[in-house]
Amino acid sequence: MSQRILLAIAVALGLLVIGLGLFWNPGQPETTVSPRGGDFTLQSADGPVSLSAFRGKVVLLYFGYTYCPDICPTSLVRTAAALNLLKPEEASRVVTLLVSVDPERDTLAHLKEYVTFFHPGMVGLTSSQAEVAAVAKQYGAFYAKHQTGSAAGYVVDHTADVYLIGTDGVLKERLPHVATPEQMVAAIRERLSVQ
Amino acid sequence: MMHKISALAVTLLFSAGVFAAAADNVSVQDPYVRLAPPGAPATGAFMVLKNAGDKDVKVVKAENSLSKVTELHTHVNDGGVMKMRPVQSIDIKAKGETVLKPGGLHVMLIDLKAPMQEGNVVPITLTFDDGSSKKVEAKVVRPTAPGMPMDHGKH
Ligand SMILES: [Cu+2]
Repeated sequence: MSQRILLAIAVALGLLVIGLGLFWNPGQPETTVSPRGGDFTLQSADGPVSLSAFRGKVVLLYFGYTYCPDICPTSLVRTAAALNLLKPEEASRVVTLLVSVDPERDTLAHLKEYVTFFHPGMVGLTSSQAEVAAVAKQYGAFYAKHQTGSAAGYVVDHTADVYLIGTDGVLKERLPHVATPEQMVAAIRERLSVQ
Repeated sequence: MMHKISALAVTLLFSAGVFAAAADNVSVQDPYVRLAPPGAPATGAFMVLKNAGDKDVKVVKAENSLSKVTELHTHVNDGGVMKMRPVQSIDIKAKGETVLKPGGLHVMLIDLKAPMQEGNVVPITLTFDDGSSKKVEAKVVRPTAPGMPMDHGKH
């Protein structure tokens, strides 16, 4: 009798494990888009930059724009704080990319000056509207121009997550806008430890 | 003598908060302007607004001399999409407080006339719904991450 109960429990646990394996995917973002990530090439002030050039490094990918008065600085400051918390040998294996979703206003030179303000290692990228849109789609980032009717001209509504790409160039997870530098460091270290 | 008595009466009325202007009931704590990155045309001013009065108060306008335009804004997080939008007013409930902070309500300084320096003081005038106004001296602060030693919100 007690053996039957044990067996039933074992079966139930087994089903639970299988169910979790099938349906529980903590790395999966909650939006309807399911980003696959992948390689891309965009322009920087110092020439074209491809994601594949950073194989062996962890890449933090962010979509924003320099006219962004609040959200982008907040995210980039957090990211810079995370980079500063890493040991130098760790930080040397982390690359931060800001893709401007506002190529209309963000020149490459301006973009470079902007990212450097937050951290000397950050790289600012952009390209034509179409190419930027393609990369954003690849990663499941959303943005849309919005006329506020204010003197700021248009603003760009956008998702503010940080995409964490592993040393193998594969999109691993999406860190929310509210992630603390400590949480970012933990996520970066986890990916750095995988060769 | 008559003068003194009426002055006293006015003082009493004011201290009782009966006829007090919104500007007298509202106190401002920790005002600061976030240092704009080079070339960025706009930045935000943040502060804590406390209303000691027993009437709700609205901030209906903000002005400053460093930027061509000053607006009241908020951020809406719409399913992960951050949307910045102008607002008509910022409410401060009676005996309550309203926090202007990154990612939320803020005073937006648009079209900066000159690059700002860390440590500069930006005088901002807030106008309330009863027409009274209050001048706030907001210091320009380099942005830091929440929870970090330099975090401005934590002092
Ligand atoms: Cu704003």
